Amino acid sequence: MKLTEEYKELAWQGLWKNNPGLVQLLGLCPLLAVTSTVTNALGLGLATLLVLIGSNATVSAIRHWVPKEIRIPIFVLIIAAFVTCVQLLMNAFTYGIYESLGIFLPLIVTNCAIIGRAEAYASKNPIKQASFDGLMMGLGFAAVLVVLGAMRELLGQGTLFDGAHLLFGEWATSLRIEVLQLDSQFLLAILPPGAFIGMGFLIALKNYIDSQSAARQPAPEPNDNIERVRVNFD
Amino acid sequence: MKIAITKNAKILALFAIACTAVVSLTFELTKNRIKQQEQKQLLTSLHAVVPDEIHDNDMSQRCVRINDPLLGSSDDQLAYLATQNEQPVAAAITSVAPDGYSGKIFLMVAMHMDGKLGAVRVLKHQETPGLGDKVEERKSDWIFSFNNRSKEELTSSRWAVEKDGGMIDQFTGATITPRAVVKAVKNTASYFEQHKDTLFQQANACEVEQ
Repeated sequence: MKLTEEYKELAWQGLWKNNPGLVQLLGLCPLLAVTSTVTNALGLGLATLLVLIGSNATVSAIRHWVPKEIRIPIFVLIIAAFVTCVQLLMNAFTYGIYESLGIFLPLIVTNCAIIGRAEAYASKNPIKQASFDGLMMGLGFAAVLVVLGAMRELLGQGTLFDGAHLLFGEWATSLRIEVLQLDSQFLLAILPPGAFIGMGFLIALKNYIDSQSAARQPAPEPNDNIERVRVNFD
Repeated sequence: MKIAITKNAKILALFAIACTAVVSLTFELTKNRIKQQEQKQLLTSLHAVVPDEIHDNDMSQRCVRINDPLLGSSDDQLAYLATQNEQPVAAAITSVAPDGYSGKIFLMVAMHMDGKLGAVRVLKHQETPGLGDKVEERKSDWIFSFNNRSKEELTSSRWAVEKDGGMIDQFTGATITPRAVVKAVKNTASYFEQHKDTLFQQANACEVEQ
């Protein structure tokens, strides 16, 4: 019972409350750079997800054998190894998306969300929870990437899932949706400033939803009485 | 103190070895598959720059190694040769634009025997996403503006991007990238002009190796 509570809390933290993209604002560089299309965003999101799960599980598995003085270099080693493996695998199996992600695939190493989770959670918790945390954080990050990618692709090109076959194979060509017929591209959305602006809107939206739901919650029990008692003691 | 250092160093070394082992293993397992993918990509590019109708040989099996400063790299480049009834018709030359915005841009340039530029494709690059990456044919039509340019156009002084007073369109947001490509294409073309007679006599470097 207590365990399911913990999983729920991890999911809530990763997907919403402590989302690496929207709240921790970690890994902004790839987040802003590759989200020009949904396909790219999904590709990087999945790669990051794999690396996060792998590194969290490994870091958690070895947590008893790593002296704390040298834990950071070891975490970096593990993360770098996972990123290189994912990169090789993507090169082998999803060549097109590997080409279009370019430099941002190896740059996952520098995504602070990953080492952040290794240090803050995985190095102190059992493998199962750590992997689950990796999964949820990765999903949260991927979701932000995809939403931002969808926004930018829609505004910039008027399509969704353009080039999805690069990621999933030929059958996915039919996933491409021509939503709007744009005569001229809304270039700002595709360019880096569009990423920043879009990201700003997403964060604002999240804060708005949070404050709305906080307002709707019944106000917390007034604790005035207790405090006053304490004050009176002085 | 000394013991702690030795112990930590040993642990670090162990992890380094383990991580390297995992990476090497993955590399070994994916090596062939990556090579296949690259070969497939190459065939697609060849097909795109040299139309099937004008030649009757398998270009991916007929290439020569070339090395010249005009090709933009000190590494060997490849020229895939197209022949019709054993007569040379065109060559698809890989070359490098060394002065891209973020490093080298790898190109394939198809030259016809009469000195006409057939087409250009970008094989590999690291240009800025959203700006310089419009050299890819997936992102923009720009690269098609090189299709079927005559020898006169190639050697003319107006073979440059518009910003430099030339006749090649550029695309919004980036000047360095198109400039680098335009220059590399010109160099490759002049290499071809100088060497086209000897190119087809060299030994085949892409013998069937499957």
